[in-house]
Amino acid sequence: MTPPQPSNMCGTDPSPRRIARPSGDAAILKAIHVTKKFGELVAVNDLSFEVKKGQIFGIAGPNGAGKSTVYNLITGFYPFEGAIEFNGRNIRGLPPYRIAQLGISRTFQIPQTFPSLTVEKSVSVGNRFGSPGHFDRKYVDRIIEFVGLESQRREMTGQLNLLGKKKLMIGAALATRPKILMLDEPMAGSNTSEIKSLMALIQAINTDLGVTIIIIEHFMKVLTELTETLLIIQTGTELCCGDPCEVTSDPRVIESYLGEAYADSNES
Amino acid sequence: MAVIMAVIYGIVGVMPIFVGDVRFIMHILIMCLIWAVVAACWDLIMGFAGIFSFGQVAFFVMGAYGSAILASRLHITPILAMVLSGGITAAIGVLVGLPCLRLKGAYIALVTFAVHMILEPFLKGDMGRFLGTGGSRGILTIPPIELFEVTFSSAAPVPFFYLTLLLSILCTVIILIVIKSYWGTAFLALKDSEDFAMSLGVSAFKYKLMVFALTSFLTGMIGGFYGHYVGMLSTRMLGIDLFVTLMIMLVIGGIGQYPGAILGAFITVSLNEMLAPLGTYRPLTLGALVVVLVLLLPDGVIGLIRKVSGDEAEGAGVSRY
Repeated sequence: MTPPQPSNMCGTDPSPRRIARPSGDAAILKAIHVTKKFGELVAVNDLSFEVKKGQIFGIAGPNGAGKSTVYNLITGFYPFEGAIEFNGRNIRGLPPYRIAQLGISRTFQIPQTFPSLTVEKSVSVGNRFGSPGHFDRKYVDRIIEFVGLESQRREMTGQLNLLGKKKLMIGAALATRPKILMLDEPMAGSNTSEIKSLMALIQAINTDLGVTIIIIEHFMKVLTELTETLLIIQTGTELCCGDPCEVTSDPRVIESYLGEAYADSNES
Repeated sequence: MAVIMAVIYGIVGVMPIFVGDVRFIMHILIMCLIWAVVAACWDLIMGFAGIFSFGQVAFFVMGAYGSAILASRLHITPILAMVLSGGITAAIGVLVGLPCLRLKGAYIALVTFAVHMILEPFLKGDMGRFLGTGGSRGILTIPPIELFEVTFSSAAPVPFFYLTLLLSILCTVIILIVIKSYWGTAFLALKDSEDFAMSLGVSAFKYKLMVFALTSFLTGMIGGFYGHYVGMLSTRMLGIDLFVTLMIMLVIGGIGQYPGAILGAFITVSLNEMLAPLGTYRPLTLGALVVVLVLLLPDGVIGLIRKVSGDEAEGAGVSRY
């Protein structure tokens, strides 16, 4: 796996990222007119989008736009109006653990770990309860190695640093053998080298393990670098969706989310 | 874990050789063994599953009354009555667990303690009397346990002691196996981060109800056993004393430090008897002792044992197993 070059210069880069992806235009996940109200507040308003199999799909937008709520709806944490189809099957109303077992896995914005368990045990939880087959120790070992935690596998998860906790969260999610991995602001609080290492990991999950990825992120560089399709949402509705380079140069997106400074820095 | 349990039960198991003819001490030992099971159940649901269930004494009393009524009214053999009563208690435990699925922390404590509060007026009231609880008089004649045509009763403490030992070991080993199995991992994962655990495929519904069912079954069964041992029951058990004593067992042993709860039960029951000469100062002394222990030994006696023996690998108790 080659770490992607940190560049957001759209168009000038022949983009080494789009390699060896299982092709196919079939939508693996479809959100159809999804609406979620918390009392008076409409957190997600008639949102529809489609994630294709094998792609890296980005979601961005201002704080409070409803990004994390969309994740909570897909993974069954809240009830909602509309429909979400996974491989053609409506998963609305299923409990979170069933959705996990079907093949949609996620991480959380605020890193979640199991302080009472070791790294190895935590990853095993994903495989034991979330994967469709039987518990597979070899697969757990492979995942621990894949996310780069093999030297800490016997440590308690509370002892890991922030990057370690994020890798653990991703590892446990991968242990469920997901078809889709949904990452919620994986780069938050990371420095440049950590961002690079996480980006390389995400790319490898997509290309080596063939997992479709949905990623919520604020770092535009990360999104333009990694994603194939980028959805910008604002106050719960779609502002713009499409090729990340086109989306980030869309005047509406610049005005409402990215700001003039971003546009200027991109031009220089 | 298993080693500590073997040592505890090993030491207790040879006690009758020395004190077998002292009826009073044998009674204390039997009570230790019974409370060890209740404390172990409480530790499983509170220390491992992180559910603040305060209904443990209530389940114990339900089991005791249930088995006593089944045996005296329906003439079911006591051993079978105990198991049936455990089953009934487990069903009630699941019913109590259902509303708790939507609640967190202190609210679960409130709901489960409400069950405790309701139980006394229920047992004393008309509905209770209809079922055969004897109202405020209680049940005065509970048949003793009979097994293979041998009657086990408090009249012959040594055989009864070994029967209790067997049952106590059986129950606590079941709990040990559960803790060490993937059930135990699921409990810990749900306790640490319910959202993360669910997103990894752990059904909170299933495992939380399972821990309610299992702990109330074992508690109810041992409650039934207690009833057949003492031969009479009243609602006095639902007073605050017993509840607090049970809590002291957990604190002394170490919450989530299995098998600390078992050790805590032995220490607390014995200590309680030893402090008897202090009369009204006994609760005061016990209370002061708890404060000191919580400050000095937050992981309970088991934490101290592990520290002294340098067994750091198992030092995290809850965490490493």
